[in-house]
Formats: sequence, C-alpha cells, structure tokens
Amino acid sequence: MTDIFVDAKGLACPMPIVRAKKAIDSLQSGQIMELHTTDKGSMNDFQAWVRQTNHELIEAKEDNGVFKFIVKKG
Amino acid sequence: MEKVLSITAEELHRKMNCGEDILILDVRNETDYNDWKIEGKKVRSMNIPYFNFLEEDEQVYAGLPKDTEIVVVCAKGGASDYVAEMLMEKGYKTWSLKGGMLAWSQFYYPATVYRDEKLKIIQINRLAKGCLSYAVISEGKGMIIDPNQKVDVYLDLAKQHHFKIEHVVDSHLHADHISGGLQLAEQTGATYYISSGEVKDTNLKFEPLDRHNRIRVGEIDVEVLAIPTPGHTPGSTSFLINNRFLMSGDTIFVGGLGRPDLGGKAKEWAMDLYDTVFNKLSNLPDDCLVLPAHYADIQEINDNGIVGATLGEIRGNNEIMRNADKESFTEQVAGAVSMEKPPNFEEIVAINRGELQVDAEKAIELEIGPNRCAVHHHG
Repeated sequence: MTDIFVDAKGLACPMPIVRAKKAIDSLQSGQIMELHTTDKGSMNDFQAWVRQTNHELIEAKEDNGVFKFIVKKG
Repeated sequence: MEKVLSITAEELHRKMNCGEDILILDVRNETDYNDWKIEGKKVRSMNIPYFNFLEEDEQVYAGLPKDTEIVVVCAKGGASDYVAEMLMEKGYKTWSLKGGMLAWSQFYYPATVYRDEKLKIIQINRLAKGCLSYAVISEGKGMIIDPNQKVDVYLDLAKQHHFKIEHVVDSHLHADHISGGLQLAEQTGATYYISSGEVKDTNLKFEPLDRHNRIRVGEIDVEVLAIPTPGHTPGSTSFLINNRFLMSGDTIFVGGLGRPDLGGKAKEWAMDLYDTVFNKLSNLPDDCLVLPAHYADIQEINDNGIVGATLGEIRGNNEIMRNADKESFTEQVAGAVSMEKPPNFEEIVAINRGELQVDAEKAIELEIGPNRCAVHHHG
C-alpha cells in the first residue's frame, strides 16, 4: 500500500528529510510514503517535521538500527 | 556556488567572548534546543528547525537580521551547512558551526585564576557541559583536579605552561561526565587519586585520597580536606590551598549546592551537606575563593571569564546557606531535587567505576547533553 518508498539509509542529516520532503511533494493527498534511514537523529527530527505539516505519521519504529517511518500525505 | 564558511567551536567562543554582535541560529528540533543549547552572556539565540527551511516559505526568514553575523548550529554540522548555504544565497552573513553541538561539547577553555612566583591556578571550563577542572602548578610540577575525558587538553596545557603532571585527582565519582583521570595518569605516569569510598568493590587502580592529608605540588601543599566533604556523593572530597582557594568539587557551587539525590539517598546526603556547610567549612575565612567542579548558569561566569566566588559572597548570597535550621535546610535541599537526572548517568558512573568499557565514539555520544548536577534554586 506504499505509494513511494525512500531509501535514505547511510545518509546523514539533513538528507533523509530533504529526500522525504521531495518524495512527499510528488504524491497526491491520501497517498502513503515509507522512508528508511539509519541516521539516529532522524527519530526526533522526522516526527517534529511531520507534526508541523498537514501529513499524518502512521508509524515510526526502529528495526535493527534502521528507523522506519510511514507517512500519509495530508 | 560559493562555499559556506565554517567556524570552529574555539573561534565561535572567541567571537562570543569579544562581545561581537552575533546571532546563533540553532536549527535542531525544538525539544533538543530547549534541552541544551549554546549560551553566552551577550549571545542572542534563535531556534528554527532545519526542516522549516525546506518549505520555501519566506515567513521562515522573517525574524533573521541581515546586518548581523549569523552562526548556524545543528547536532553534527550537516544541517547547519545546508541552512547556512540557503541563507548565504539570500544575502545573509552566515557561518556554520563545524561539527555542531558535538564539537561544542568537546570544547574546553582554560583561564588563569591566580598566579604568583610560586603558584599558578588554571581553571579549564568545558562550556557546553558546565564542567570545570583545574591545574595547580608550582615549580614545574602540576596537579590536575577533575580532568574530563579529552585528556589532550591537559597534556597541551602542561606543555604550554611547562609543568609535569605528577598528580591527578577526582574529587568524587562523577555522574555527569566521563572522567579523564585514569587515562591522564596512565599517559603521564602521574598518580591517580580518588576517595576509596567512591570506588568500593571495583578493580580500579587508584591511590586512596583518604590516606593523604596533603599532596605536595612543587612548593605548594594542597590540603586534602580529610573531613571528606560529603553532601554530593558520600566520598566526595575538597582541596584547599593556603586557606585561600577551595576546589569544592560538587559540594558548594557559586549559585547553589550539590545534588544529594544522585545516589538515591536524598535525605541522608542532605544532612551531610548541612554538616559540611555549617560545621566542616565554617572555619574557612570569608575571602577564601571557592572554585567548584560545575556551574549551572552562564551568569556564574564572572567578568574575568572565571567561575568562582568567595565564601563570604556565597554565604551572603545563598539563602540555603543562611538558613541555619537543620530541619528546614534538609527539607529545602531534598525538596529542590529535580526529577531530571544527567543524561546517561548510570552508564557514566559505571564507566568511571571501571565496570564498563566503551569506544571513543560511544563515550563522546554518552556525554552529549546538558549538565544537571547542581540544585537549581532561586531566592
């Protein structure tokens, strides 16, 4: 059900969110983006970023050093 | 495209100290910013998270001055480069702090507290953590008190001021930062001292402070306050030079008292602290300069760049100290105890007890964040 997948593993801040922003801009409202990153700071930053947009954070979890986020475009 | 100018933590500190008009633009998320940021007496600071700049909304730039140098700061230096570049393209005068808050947490600033022919005392201020360590130097010999993790700082200092480090002491078992004591002693051949009560049941190699009334440094006797001034942790110790300088560890601060709760025995330790303040240190003169191991507020740095105050000033200013009723004193100290512990303090204590080994990267990471060792009280 993911409409776009962003692999930001190995990228350092700020690139994971820069990529996420570009990807979500390409979606229609209601579509889903999934992003994977290994940047530790992204757990807080990503959630703070989504909170101030109209998008909705569906899931945020850590899996073996990979941070996984699922966001629904607002 | 023009390259973003970067500035090191040391250069930034120099600018801040010169009183240059600069704005620190911190682009980390709001929570991290509120938790811990670069502070200076005359420094203006602003928080706009880096991801706000992605929105291409001109409103984001509304509060930023065009005529002031802006130093952009983030966690590790990546996002600040990114934002500084955007600002530069819009015509702002910007710098990006190289290495971000991580580099800032590793910056130590030495300032000479006192010097005469026989004695020199240098205070080494780790600004990001509010941690203070000391070099006591006499006749080419030196003692380092409470060294932090980055031991090169003290090796450089010894080179620069021409002294040999013979003694390294920890005033107590630190909970907020990783001690550089053992490592510094190993690298210089110096003796490492800590109170044996602090490191009971460990395999740590140390010389028990409690076996020494004084330690000779060149022509100076450093008195080990054999009344091990407790209060903060049960084996914490203070050092006295010529009745004029008291390195108080975490017992007395310029702006407050030590936190007795970090060992989980708030009430008992608060009683010890009372005893220290009103009995054990009551014979020291008012003009004795107290040089603590920490400070809680940037305002505690005086105009000479030093954190310290005379016992007279502290006695006069400190409401807790003027409150000589034992019961209410204990209550006040235990009551002021904050729920916030220093970040990662359990792991840091384990490392300082020699029970946990971590690599250099992990060690630096564990220390990131604010210091929370002093009781914050107002009045």
